[in-house]
Amino acid sequence: MAHESKWVTWISHSVLMGFSIACIIPFILLIVSSISSESSIIQNGYSFFPQQFSLKAYEYLWAHWSELGRAYGITVFVTVFGTAASLAMTSMLAYPMSRSDIPLKSFWAFLVFFTLLFNGGLVPTYLIYTQVFEIKNTIWALIVPGLLMNGFNVLLVRTFFMTSVPPALIEAAQIDGAGEIKAFYKIVLPLSAPIMATIGLFEAILYWNDWFNGMTYVTDPKLFSIQNILNRIISDIQFLSNNSSLASTAGGAMAELPSTSVRMAIAVIGVLPILIAYPFFQKHFIKGITIGAVK
Amino acid sequence: MKRKLNWIGAILAMMLLLAACSSNNGTNEAASPAGNGSNDSGEAEAPYELTVAYFTFGSVPQDQKLIEEELSKITKEKINATVKLLPISLSAWQNQVNLMLTSNEKLDLMVLMGSTYANQVAKGQLIALDELLAQSGTGILAALGPDYANATKINGQAYGVPTIRDLATSYGYLIRQDLVDKHALDLSQVKTLNDLEPILQTIKDNEPNMIPFVNGTGASPLTYYSTRDSLGDDMGVLLDNGQDLKVVNWFETEEYAAQLKQMRKWYQAGYISKDAVTVKESTSDILKGGKGAGNLATLKPGFDTQETRLTGKAITSVELLPSVAKTSTVTNIMWGIAKNSKNPEKAMQFLNLMYTDKDVVNLFDWGIEGKHYVKVSENIIDYPQGVDAASVGYSGMGWLFGNQFLSYIFKGDDENLWEKMKEFNNSAIKSKALGFTFDSTPVKTEFAAVSNVLTQYRIALECGALDPDKMLPEFIAKLKDAGIDKIIAEKQKQLDAWAAANGQ
Repeated sequence: MAHESKWVTWISHSVLMGFSIACIIPFILLIVSSISSESSIIQNGYSFFPQQFSLKAYEYLWAHWSELGRAYGITVFVTVFGTAASLAMTSMLAYPMSRSDIPLKSFWAFLVFFTLLFNGGLVPTYLIYTQVFEIKNTIWALIVPGLLMNGFNVLLVRTFFMTSVPPALIEAAQIDGAGEIKAFYKIVLPLSAPIMATIGLFEAILYWNDWFNGMTYVTDPKLFSIQNILNRIISDIQFLSNNSSLASTAGGAMAELPSTSVRMAIAVIGVLPILIAYPFFQKHFIKGITIGAVK
Repeated sequence: MKRKLNWIGAILAMMLLLAACSSNNGTNEAASPAGNGSNDSGEAEAPYELTVAYFTFGSVPQDQKLIEEELSKITKEKINATVKLLPISLSAWQNQVNLMLTSNEKLDLMVLMGSTYANQVAKGQLIALDELLAQSGTGILAALGPDYANATKINGQAYGVPTIRDLATSYGYLIRQDLVDKHALDLSQVKTLNDLEPILQTIKDNEPNMIPFVNGTGASPLTYYSTRDSLGDDMGVLLDNGQDLKVVNWFETEEYAAQLKQMRKWYQAGYISKDAVTVKESTSDILKGGKGAGNLATLKPGFDTQETRLTGKAITSVELLPSVAKTSTVTNIMWGIAKNSKNPEKAMQFLNLMYTDKDVVNLFDWGIEGKHYVKVSENIIDYPQGVDAASVGYSGMGWLFGNQFLSYIFKGDDENLWEKMKEFNNSAIKSKALGFTFDSTPVKTEFAAVSNVLTQYRIALECGALDPDKMLPEFIAKLKDAGIDKIIAEKQKQLDAWAAANGQ
């Protein structure tokens, strides 16, 4: 038995290691191409060892820091603020839904669940956000649409509250004189750190990587986030190369777009913070998702 | 019971909170239309604010706001309007403009692209311009000339005005000058595609690390070589640059088969890169990286200087096919007035300035004198001291903003560039279908199916990676299955109707 489990461990570990390597390799390639010289990339394609070491791409980033630094700031602000707001709203909606003594319990659950399956589509959503809420070209455009609340997260948190926070504990708190709000902050939330970390990480990654809101609701370059800029550069290049008639007229415009290694360098600075943040969440992450996922 | 009441109380409180939020938004909303309202309520002294949308590549220039202010100074004086520029990144363009048009946001003038023009007109998103042009756009008509001004008409009405730039195109081979000198290549003998062979062979023999015949991503070498009027999409074309109004299937012609054979031969001889089908760089990047010698391209006056700037290597070119004007070369960039416009009259007046007023054009194209450029002589400009292409606070795209012929010429370019360009436009062979724009809506399904077949086969065939003897018949069969004949029939029908309406 012990012998067999050793084999199982060996095999499963090597399979998982294989997976991890497959995930890491693209990152290495990304970082290496960002420190390779442009001409060596064109001459020989991408490679794992820089053939011609060059920091030109990072010099370019430094020279354009007024624009990129601002975008970086926007991304950081939106991520921090958005995640905090999202956590607060999600948990405050999920908590009452987790209590068995709330009236119309299934109705609230249905309301949340409904948004998982259906949405209004892009044009009506755009109309509501731009004409009723007037968030076009404001920082809210990067925070609210699509990202702030997510029905799936609400259900995840609700399940966590229902399974991991014993109602007796809340009752005990109330007997000791805590009101609903105090019980929530002093008892329920501290017990729910794993799920909060999980949802927080989900949301933070969503906010960090989001370019769609920026592309749809923002035309003011002051509000471009780093992913938005990267996405714009890449799709501009694609668009130009796929529209030969326009490209021949607009030939010169191509020259103004950053080169391959610069694009890689932007991607590197775009992905680094998330890579750094991950290990810190790891501990809570596993527990949160395994408990909360049982709906 | 009491607990229940508590819950209801909590919910009510939340609703109040929400209501407070939304009513706050409500006042915002109420305030801004009112602001607009007072703007265009017609008081003589209140200038109308024109929103002008156009696309940009990469980042928005840092001095954009200054340009806007300077422009507004001119327009306030001349047409009692101010200008709000709305540059939108090309990648987001389609999406954002569509949303703005459907949601009736404030938008007056906008750039139109040939690929979506017919569709936008069909959806009623643009204002018909004929009457406005006659009233306050006479400068535009004079600058364009009747041939090109009429090229944008759909059902007898113009909905867009082409920008004045290279309105025709010729095709040729461009090559690095240093290679021409080094191997004593005689370009003067090159008149047809065939004549290129000895040159490609010389490069192949002497420069083993170089691709003699480059193609860029998403294109084959043949993409920039055309003797036909593609009528926009190559699904049903007019042969001989549209001198005959009979729509045929280009992929079935002997000419196409012969071209494919030649590419196959060149591919096997190693003139075309082995990974041409999947290449991910643009031709100029490949030349810049020293990996390629030359490629076929669409030429225009001043082209060599432009490519030299782009690739960082001296470039020379030889023309293989004379210049031609087709609907696609004229309508690929136009200006139109959105149906959202509250004051199309003013929009047209501003457009007129973009085609007649030297100050307006140069503000758009080069920025502010003394800050973004200095005059070297009457018509030649240069960067001010201490400023170069990378650090200049503004640079526009001459081919985008109205009449490029009014633009200053940058030092290093041909002094007579615009005269040559005018000559180039005027002497171009004009397709008989110049002005015809195909509306693919009636054959939408077939159009999508044929597009898929084209993506699947075309580049691989035209790069020579597939054997045309075997694959061309398969390609043609697939096209027919996808319904290309139906598209051709529809196109012929629309073309005949168009020709009848235009007295051809």
